[in-house]
Amino acid sequence: MNENRIQTFTEEIGELKLRGARADRERWLLVIGTVALIAGVAMAVVGGFQASGTTEMGDQIAFLATGTLIGLALVIAGTALFVRYSLARFLRFWLVRLVHEHRSETDRVVEALKQIEGKLDR
Amino acid sequence: MSTTPILELRNVRAGYGSIDVLHGVNLSVRAGEVVALLGPNGAGKSTTIKVISGLLRPSAGQLIVAGRDVTGASAGALARAGLCTIPEGRGIFPNLTVRENLLMATFAGHKLSDIEESTYSRFPRLGERRTQLAGTMSGGEQQMLSLARALATKPAILLLDELSMGLAPIIVAELYNQVAAIAAEGVSVLVVEQFARTVLGVADTAVLLAHGSVRMSGKASEIGDDVLAGAYLGT
Repeated sequence: MNENRIQTFTEEIGELKLRGARADRERWLLVIGTVALIAGVAMAVVGGFQASGTTEMGDQIAFLATGTLIGLALVIAGTALFVRYSLARFLRFWLVRLVHEHRSETDRVVEALKQIEGKLDR
Repeated sequence: MSTTPILELRNVRAGYGSIDVLHGVNLSVRAGEVVALLGPNGAGKSTTIKVISGLLRPSAGQLIVAGRDVTGASAGALARAGLCTIPEGRGIFPNLTVRENLLMATFAGHKLSDIEESTYSRFPRLGERRTQLAGTMSGGEQQMLSLARALATKPAILLLDELSMGLAPIIVAELYNQVAAIAAEGVSVLVVEQFARTVLGVADTAVLLAHGSVRMSGKASEIGDDVLAGAYLGT
């Protein structure tokens, strides 16, 4: 091999297209979901107050459309992201706990079997 | 052996979701070097292999391959370039014959006849079993097949995860002789192994991992039993 292979390898690695993404994507989506949820509620409330503060039908529709409707859309999208990623975190922790318990259970069974084996050998 | 690292991990942190497994791992492999990554169960060895092979993205730190920061590159792209992984549990197709398993390795652009020739000359036992279903072979033969399938892709870096798992010591010794021969051809090898003594005989460098951090690294010949016991027993 091997200077040639290493040279080819280096060239191929050099040509790789990288997206540069990180494992943090999940955490970021959770943060984005939370922020969208809070911002959506705030926009909906502000839109509602602004609409109730005027008697002009045109202004009311504009406030409702830009504030309340966009706010509600953000609330829905934010809630979906928040539920999706917080649930994933919770289930992962739960799975790790189950695996841990399963391992300790197996260790206890193996230990008990060893003790039985020891007594039978005697 | 070259002095420039062909593979490097710099302060890599990685885990699963919010659970961190690696806490700033530094590691380097030079061209043609065999590095043994040792440590007790749960130390983060397999996670390290996943990060290097591109299966798991680090949350911090860099993966440098052939001098380039490839953090975030996909496993497929790295494999096509020549970073080959033999996962824990062998990674062969049990319902395919030996020959069909080798056929699956032709994706890298090499002819089946060439792959068969080099495989059967390296592992004559696989030649005798070329029409046998891989899943019906012994554990050692299956591991030979997974090595052969990896070598068929002409890798520049080979990552081996727990080669000795479930195998008799004599078979493990035979397989590690093959690993030494592969490294002698210039392939860089990173071996993850829980049973340290089996791999230290062929490794140039050893890295001891404990609780997701590098406990120590140095020449494999300098790793004594006391150091291993300390890392494995947490003393």
